[in-house]
Amino acid sequence: MIKFENIYFRYDEDGEDILRDVNFTLEPGSYHFLTGPSGAGKTSLATLMYMGNIPTQGNITMFGKDVKSAKRNDLFSLRQRIGVVFQDFRLLSHLSTFDNVALPLRIVGRPEDEIKSHVDELLDWVGLGKHKKHLPKKLSGGQQQRVAIARAVIGRPKLLLADEPTGNLDDEIGFRLMGLFEQLNRMGTTIVIATHNQQIIEQFGHPCLTLDNGSISQEDKRKQQKKIRHVF
Amino acid sequence: MVQSAKKIKENNRKRFAMFSKNKILKTINMHTNNIKEKFANIIDSKRYDLPLDNSEDTRFLITLITLMSFLAVLALSGVFALNSMTNKWSSGLENKITIEISVETKDGHILSQDTILKETKDLYEMLSSHKSVRSVEILGSEEIQELISPWIGNDLDLANIPLPGLIAVEIKNLDDDDFHILKKDIQKTSKHANIETHEQWLADLINFTKTLKTLSLLIALLIGSITTIAIASAVRTRLAIHHDEVELLHYMGATDDYIIRQFQRHTIILALKGAIIGTVIGMSVIYSLTFFSRGSGSELMPVIYIGISGVFILLFIPVIAAIITAITSHITVLRSLAKMP
Repeated sequence: MIKFENIYFRYDEDGEDILRDVNFTLEPGSYHFLTGPSGAGKTSLATLMYMGNIPTQGNITMFGKDVKSAKRNDLFSLRQRIGVVFQDFRLLSHLSTFDNVALPLRIVGRPEDEIKSHVDELLDWVGLGKHKKHLPKKLSGGQQQRVAIARAVIGRPKLLLADEPTGNLDDEIGFRLMGLFEQLNRMGTTIVIATHNQQIIEQFGHPCLTLDNGSISQEDKRKQQKKIRHVF
Repeated sequence: MVQSAKKIKENNRKRFAMFSKNKILKTINMHTNNIKEKFANIIDSKRYDLPLDNSEDTRFLITLITLMSFLAVLALSGVFALNSMTNKWSSGLENKITIEISVETKDGHILSQDTILKETKDLYEMLSSHKSVRSVEILGSEEIQELISPWIGNDLDLANIPLPGLIAVEIKNLDDDDFHILKKDIQKTSKHANIETHEQWLADLINFTKTLKTLSLLIALLIGSITTIAIASAVRTRLAIHHDEVELLHYMGATDDYIIRQFQRHTIILALKGAIIGTVIGMSVIYSLTFFSRGSGSELMPVIYIGISGVFILLFIPVIAAIITAITSHITVLRSLAKMP
């Protein structure tokens, strides 16, 4: 379970609050779209969710653990359960497609044989099997985005955060990847996707967390799909 | 019928040969792939998640550590050479005294050559049978000339110069009481005898070399400190350059230890490269100096001698550099990571 309680966040001490009194709960296996106008604080909220920043005020509970009181090593193991697709991809420029995708598995110390088979399979699935030795600079924007998505999902995270994951993709690949997210969700992964794409929001019909002027509203629960039990 | 049976047999033989060939090729292929994979894994294990190699500051760090290791070799060799020098002086003069019957007495009178010769002979006879003496030798006029020639030159006719009587005595290991008795016996036999135990000037010399040794060790320590600061600064620079990548690894759940290992592996390899080069160059220089110092012929300033233990300590410099680097990069990276959420 992920719980945000009375969260306030600002980057500078003297600056304005980017997030104000944010409260929401994400049940395990839920699927939400995070929407809101530009500058509403979507990325800041996502950063707090992957513990890239700490809130100025309020409590965050991730997978049942209070983030504020968690030990440093606990934070690492919490982060290992989260897959993030950054808006700017954040691929490591000196690593090949294969090594970028393999990174989360290497971090948790999986054996190389296992890494190879998993990464090869996933890269084939996202249509990058022929590009696994290429450096990110040799890939198009859409291909880089697919690498970023593959990297986020390779470790079968319990929470997948994606910031505009279909922004650079054509419709076919975009919907295919949304299908992958659906599949992960059916396997129990909690999904939060920050997007402006109303077509996708309407087509997939998952509940929305709408950010407006730093505050959040959790949309009508009637729209929420039936939750699937955690299978990991 | 017979022909077709032969044909079938021939076909079977060809098929079998083909099958065997394919099987062998398949096996070779499989083994080649296995070897290739193993090599790929070895190469992969040297992969860095952070882009740490091949940059200007990498070359700077190698050059700096090379220079520091070279200086460390020189400083430590200095310590070893001074040690061997002190040992040589001490052992050379240990249990040795020189007795001089001066030409001029304490109250200013000049002794006749006959008196000097007589007292020298008496002393020689007494010392030859003394229980505390191992060996005794009178220095002849040629040896005395050799000793004083650096001050008065070789051209003078010694027949016209009054020479002191000199006796070199090697004594047994004596305690203070026995040495006191020996001194009394000498003075009883010759009232003009002066005993030179070399203690004072040897003590001064040893103190001087001790100061030099301390200075050399301080220089070695300074070199170690400068190296530590340089490594810490290089690591901090790298951390600043790759802040985004380090942050990304953190977001993926990489522990502090995982990131530290990346930096440590990188800096240890650099330190080993630099330290090995510096040590090899330093030892080559020292051995060249040793080679040339052998030809100097000076007894007082002996050959630069490092010794086997010294060589081992010098060869240990790259290991010390690696240890300093490992500890420094660990502390530096850990401190920087602690500031990240």
